[in-house]
Amino acid sequence: MFNQSRKPPNAALPLAARGGVGTSITIPTRKQAERRFKYAVIAPAILVLLLIGLFPLVYSLVVSFQSITMMAQDTSFQGLANYARLLSDVRLWKALGHTAVFTAVALPAELILGLAMAYLFLEKMPGRQIFIALLLLPTVLSPIVAGATWRLLFDNRYGPINQIISWIAGAPAPIIWIVNPKTVYPAILICEIWQWTPFMFLILLAALSSVDKSQLEAADLDGAPWRMTFFSIVLPAIWPVMAIAILIRGLDLIRLFDIVWGLTQGGPGTMTETISIYTYALGFKQFETSYTAAIAFLVIAMLTIIVTWALKRMEIAR
Amino acid sequence: MRRLHKLILIASAAAVAAVYTSAAFAESAAERAVKEAQKYKGTTINIVWEAGLQSLDPLNFSGPKWEQLTGIHVNVVEVPAGEMFTKILQDYRGGAGGYDALNVVPSWMPDLAAAGALEVLDPYVDKYGYREELQDIAPTYRDNQMTVDGKIYGFPDDGDVFVLYYRKDIFDDQANKDAFKTKFGYELAPPKTWKQFEEIGQFLTDKYAPKMYGASFFRNPDYTQFMFQERFRNEGGKFFDADTMKATVNSDIGVKVLTQMRDENKFMPPGVETFGFVENLAAFLSGQSAMTISWPPYGRWAAGYGQDEKALNWVPKSQIAGKVGYALPPGGHPELALGFALSVSSTSKHKDAAYLFIQWLNSKDVSIERVQLPYALRDPFRVEHYTSAEYLSRWPDAKDYLATLKLGSETGLLDLSIIQTDKYEEALRQAISALWSGEDPKSILDKVAASWDATTQQVGIEKQKKVYQSWAAKSGAYPK
Repeated sequence: MFNQSRKPPNAALPLAARGGVGTSITIPTRKQAERRFKYAVIAPAILVLLLIGLFPLVYSLVVSFQSITMMAQDTSFQGLANYARLLSDVRLWKALGHTAVFTAVALPAELILGLAMAYLFLEKMPGRQIFIALLLLPTVLSPIVAGATWRLLFDNRYGPINQIISWIAGAPAPIIWIVNPKTVYPAILICEIWQWTPFMFLILLAALSSVDKSQLEAADLDGAPWRMTFFSIVLPAIWPVMAIAILIRGLDLIRLFDIVWGLTQGGPGTMTETISIYTYALGFKQFETSYTAAIAFLVIAMLTIIVTWALKRMEIAR
Repeated sequence: MRRLHKLILIASAAAVAAVYTSAAFAESAAERAVKEAQKYKGTTINIVWEAGLQSLDPLNFSGPKWEQLTGIHVNVVEVPAGEMFTKILQDYRGGAGGYDALNVVPSWMPDLAAAGALEVLDPYVDKYGYREELQDIAPTYRDNQMTVDGKIYGFPDDGDVFVLYYRKDIFDDQANKDAFKTKFGYELAPPKTWKQFEEIGQFLTDKYAPKMYGASFFRNPDYTQFMFQERFRNEGGKFFDADTMKATVNSDIGVKVLTQMRDENKFMPPGVETFGFVENLAAFLSGQSAMTISWPPYGRWAAGYGQDEKALNWVPKSQIAGKVGYALPPGGHPELALGFALSVSSTSKHKDAAYLFIQWLNSKDVSIERVQLPYALRDPFRVEHYTSAEYLSRWPDAKDYLATLKLGSETGLLDLSIIQTDKYEEALRQAISALWSGEDPKSILDKVAASWDATTQQVGIEKQKKVYQSWAAKSGAYPK
């Protein structure tokens, strides 16, 4: 059977190079040569990524089976001792719980607000670009700066928030936002939602802009209510982009550190301590290096499950 | 004859050597440090220093002066206090040798020394003849903040101690004195007990609020946990059962102290739970509180000392200069909270140069200048600092101020210092922040005790017991 993929020999090449009689040299085809060139070009980048990404991962895994603490550098194999400790570490599970609460509240809030803002700015209007640029400013701030700034805004004596509330209420409002257990979560969530809703807004604005206008017009002509138009036409169209935005923000919220650190440092007590803050305290203040590595792998395992499930649900991974 | 001649020659040589040696050591420790350091001209040494006001000393005064004298450049690495321990240990663990000299909180010394991060200084002390001048450091700091297991790891360089500052004019007001005596049956005077403190505080708040409150404190957990340590021990509390190493911080005494601390907020300015060092300073200097407890700089700044310094332009102008009295906090045994010692990193590549710098800084000649710097936070720590004619002339009440600091250093209580001290202190910090959020004191302290017991188990009960017993045996561990 004639091999269609094989090109006719090039008469300009020597006989040996043309695969002539008695030779065993295989001449790479053009496609193979291109493929090798591509691999050669991206190989350094992949090597660097593996070094930066994979090496620390493997090293952390090894460390998680050792017993490296502030006082002892015991690198002998300790079995699953650190992982067993995870199960009885109440503070760890509480930190995960706090993180889950922040994620469960902030993520839908940012999504809904971001979508609402995106709808507002969908149509052309005077100064639209300027307003969008201003709306995006919080996202540009460093999260630790955002947390520290909001701490000043929430200051019970000199902060403007209590002043504004007292003007509205007509009476002094000495709310100690970051100490009172009833207000500390709202304080953190306000800061978090204020900073990252513009991110959702930007992504969803782009997604909404790409919805097929002819379908929308057709639905409008048919007298479809807004709700039906949104759930039947708009949402399916923007779902892939929205899903990615949800995934990115969800992962960011699970890693939440800066804003909480700037506002409360995990306090009062450990009431707002997220998993990142707890890990930081263990690893960098108490130098429980091996146990911290075990916690890191617990979080990696949980995130892997979440991401895999999410991607399957979103039908993005094929 | 030849034998006699020989003897005379030997005796003469010995005499010359003795004179030469004594002449060499007649120079001060500071002079000796400068002379020896000139061999290292052109070197740069990195010193870790607390960020903010503390580091103005090496940045503006001691660093430039040292470079002028020796040709050694001092690079000040400013680090927030809460991160100093981490950075020092990280640098050691990484073997980077990025730091040469260190500022170390004395309670960290056992951990850092055990980890191998600190250089043993005894050989250098003997080599450069500093042992004699070390004896002039005030005994409490010298005997408790310099050594671990008998070896010198740092030179105490900051006489931190809690002082009660109070408004003399308010306390001396005859109307206040009469009304107070009528109500409580004793003279209005700086409180000797926490019960008196509460009564005086409430009395003054009832009379003067909202213009002025009876008292204000910094309430941030980082510093307030030292206040708990002080008050707990003044009330008779013990941190651990010395035999079993079970934490006893959740005893009735601990609950009483935490409850009192919480209840005091009622007669303090609203929002006192969020007061840090600066907020409390502002409240006191502006006349908003009649009593406060804090470190020595409050006393200097309340007197108006250094108010014209550019570096202090963030400090509110004192409205109470000349009106401030000084006393020991209730209980009579103030916490020697924090403090700093100068050390050398064990991974330094310039150990001798680093050592000579810290000897010079800590010496009699130089330290007296440094503790008088208006913008610096270093407090008197040598015996002669408390009686220095120059210091006594700085402001009218400086005599009372220095006398109180001296008394505080003699009766003061050491910060708890055992293996992994920061873990135990972390539990206390969380306890304080939980207290302000309204959690029950007993429940808070039960959690502290459980956390302490878990830490002790991790460290090793017998190992920690040995270190704790050694610490508890010190004169400043518990009130005598």
